[in-house]
Amino acid sequence: MKNKFILFLGLFLSASLTVVAQDNISPARKQAIDSLALEKVKDLSKYIAIIGSKETQFSEANRVMDRAEELFAPGAEMGVSSINTSEIAYYKVRRYFERLMALNYDRVNITWYDIQYISDLERQPDGRYVGVITIYQRFEGTSIETGMNYRDTTKKDITIYVEKKQTQIAGRTIEFWDVMLGDVRVTETSA
Amino acid sequence: MRLTFLIFAFFIAIISSVPGQGIGGPGTIKDDGRFAASTKQLNQFFRRFNGEESVDGNIRFYPGDSLYQNPALRKGFLNILFDNQTSSISPQLKQDFISHVLSQAYPFYLNFQREGWYAEVDTEFFFKGKREKVTLIMKIQPERLGFEWVIDQVIFPPFKNLFNKPVGESKDFLHPLSHELGFMNLRRAFQDSNLPESFTASSYKPDYLSIFLYEMKQNNLRFDTVSGVKFHFFQIGGWYFEVNQFNRPGFNTGWLISNLVRLGPGDKETILKYIYDQD
Repeated sequence: MKNKFILFLGLFLSASLTVVAQDNISPARKQAIDSLALEKVKDLSKYIAIIGSKETQFSEANRVMDRAEELFAPGAEMGVSSINTSEIAYYKVRRYFERLMALNYDRVNITWYDIQYISDLERQPDGRYVGVITIYQRFEGTSIETGMNYRDTTKKDITIYVEKKQTQIAGRTIEFWDVMLGDVRVTETSA
Repeated sequence: MRLTFLIFAFFIAIISSVPGQGIGGPGTIKDDGRFAASTKQLNQFFRRFNGEESVDGNIRFYPGDSLYQNPALRKGFLNILFDNQTSSISPQLKQDFISHVLSQAYPFYLNFQREGWYAEVDTEFFFKGKREKVTLIMKIQPERLGFEWVIDQVIFPPFKNLFNKPVGESKDFLHPLSHELGFMNLRRAFQDSNLPESFTASSYKPDYLSIFLYEMKQNNLRFDTVSGVKFHFFQIGGWYFEVNQFNRPGFNTGWLISNLVRLGPGDKETILKYIYDQD
């Protein structure tokens, strides 16, 4: 009886350990998730450059806005502040893109610095993981009529949500890690 | 040992030259080192403080990696984690702190999930139509499967003078035989007095957070914006430091230590009381 109890306890503990192990993200897994998250951020950067470009047709810009919106979790917001004010102005992602498209410059050039920083992933109460990717963007806008040039460099801290999901392929259940973008903090830098 | 170092150096060289690591690929702007030097996230402050990432921040070190929490790496990082332009931390105090943290016998590390650090968040609300500054003291706590930030205290000036309980002769009271009259004299406390707090126990302390939440539920308070964030750390035994974000030109930027205090007996409680009460 005692032996059976020990065997049962052993099985229970090993099952529990397996569950815990599944919930942890190994360094190798983290690296794979980082790459996936960076791909999404790269896509976002590409879309922002297209939306902001004056050469982009209205219909094309709208199509790209749809694609860009799909990268984000529902309800995601952009929080924007400038050097002059520490206050944050909040925009829904779509509204932020629309404002970007409506900028009154004849020429707009959006480029990115070759540096990014990816945080650790922390688990939130619902079991999903959350992280932040930081990138830097340079914006240059020229107005031919007024001859005005505007240039700024912004730091973008982009929330990423990481979640384990399941899909059925040929009758088999395959688990995979999915990444969605969340709120973005946009800060003007002194660079 | 030398072979390990060579392999490590070679590995770093390969990693750093992997194409496609950057955001935009061709056409990206080369950082002149300022953004790389900047402590870009508080997460990076933790990692640098603990010596858990490479100098360029591209490689995360884990337990078992040869450079994980390496003292020499940490020393280099700790020196750049201070605001060297505006803070008045003396070089000697800074060196004492670094020596304490890097103690061979008992080195100190920061831990994201452990208690002993707080966020002080400056915000602006509209209170009954008027814009007011509100400071929230926040901390990390475990919750179900993970962690969450929670509001631990609120500092809201309009509440501060609401409960100035009088002391001494100016304090009104309910006499000790009030019970014999069925407390009929409560009328004095609630109708005739503008200071009903006079009739509370000596131990009474107003709970500003509950009042704040109540006012919000009554739609008297509406959130507007966040205007500033800083962090208070008590995780290093015998020391307190404050971390602020510095957005300025140069290489000494990002999240940096702006205030450092060696704690004597009772100092921690005094500083915590100051943070929580802002008196």
